[in-house]
Amino acid sequence: MKTDDLIRALGEDTTTDPSEVALLARYLPVAMLVSFVALWLALGPRDDLRLALTSFPPLLRHVLTLALFAVSLLLGLRLLRPEAKAPLWVLAVPMFAALGAVLWALQTTPSEGWQMALEGKTQLTCLVSIPLLSIPPVAAFLAAFKSGATTRPAWSGALAGMAGGALGAAIYAFHCIEDSPLFFVTWYGVAIAIVTAASAILGSRFLRW
Amino acid sequence: MNGPDDDWPDLLKAGMAGDARAYRAFLTAISPVIRGIVRARGRALGDALCEDVVQDVLMAVHSKRHTWRQDAPLRPWLYAITRHKVVDAFRARGSAIDLPVEEFADVLPADADADPTERRDMEKLIGMLDQRAAGIVRMIGLEGHSAAETGAALGMSEGSVRVALHRAFKALAALRERHVE
Repeated sequence: MKTDDLIRALGEDTTTDPSEVALLARYLPVAMLVSFVALWLALGPRDDLRLALTSFPPLLRHVLTLALFAVSLLLGLRLLRPEAKAPLWVLAVPMFAALGAVLWALQTTPSEGWQMALEGKTQLTCLVSIPLLSIPPVAAFLAAFKSGATTRPAWSGALAGMAGGALGAAIYAFHCIEDSPLFFVTWYGVAIAIVTAASAILGSRFLRW
Repeated sequence: MNGPDDDWPDLLKAGMAGDARAYRAFLTAISPVIRGIVRARGRALGDALCEDVVQDVLMAVHSKRHTWRQDAPLRPWLYAITRHKVVDAFRARGSAIDLPVEEFADVLPADADADPTERRDMEKLIGMLDQRAAGIVRMIGLEGHSAAETGAALGMSEGSVRVALHRAFKALAALRERHVE
């Protein structure tokens, strides 16, 4: 087929696909519902949920994870433009906030208690649950990102993973009773990092065009 | 500095709003620039392979046209897509190339060769589509029928033809991803 013929055919293809934002609006609510219901049925909410959602530091877990979600999603969306330069350093902001929480915890916890606060009792549950709860949102982000034109598919995959992992963690926090930043910044952080890495690998193949 | 590419953004905007003639004019206008960029690096691989890559880039521009924000400059967007596809295309064909986007603006545009050799790559991919999809692509592309005329000939509505054409191009892009040799 000559190039002119191809152009003629392309010209008749006037159908437009939904934008990545439209796809997100379609997929993300469903994904979050699935994760939420899964958490509720499998692990159940913490007993003192109402208290936890209105007091500090438990609320900090939701605030920090949602901040990370927002920043990584906005960066991810920006990176879907092929000419975009995404200011990835912005990710440092929620990370510094988390670090701040850790420093605060170190200040306010007696040093004999650091080890215990860090280890907590539920590391394994945390490390398994957050990645599992992240699967629906990460899938939603990857599906939405695919309609874009990222020239850095691994990075875009990583951002999808970071956003989805952060959401998974925010949802997990409805069950988790570990309130010390020494625990949750560490272990939620590790869990999110695992999801980020896995999604970067997935994205490097899936987000090619 | 005024140049012949000043109307590209307007053509693409009109095309995205539904003006098929403007859109074809846009694709026709950008082809020589893309061809120049591809040939600047791909000379050693021959003009035939280069034209395959030009067609790859045009398909990518088409399928990702919605990622151009209409208030953003067009050239950087176009160059970014071109560069991404060209590097990919050459790498997939066994030849890693170095392609700094800063050099694109200086490349001379090139017209297609007068020799009307059918591009085999695209033909091969079209052959992998289902019969009806392949037929629609050929009737519109090669024979120059409109979607309405094609629909009449095949006993389909114009809308169904357009949907089938759209899916065909998506399938071609996916086949291209997997089958580049």
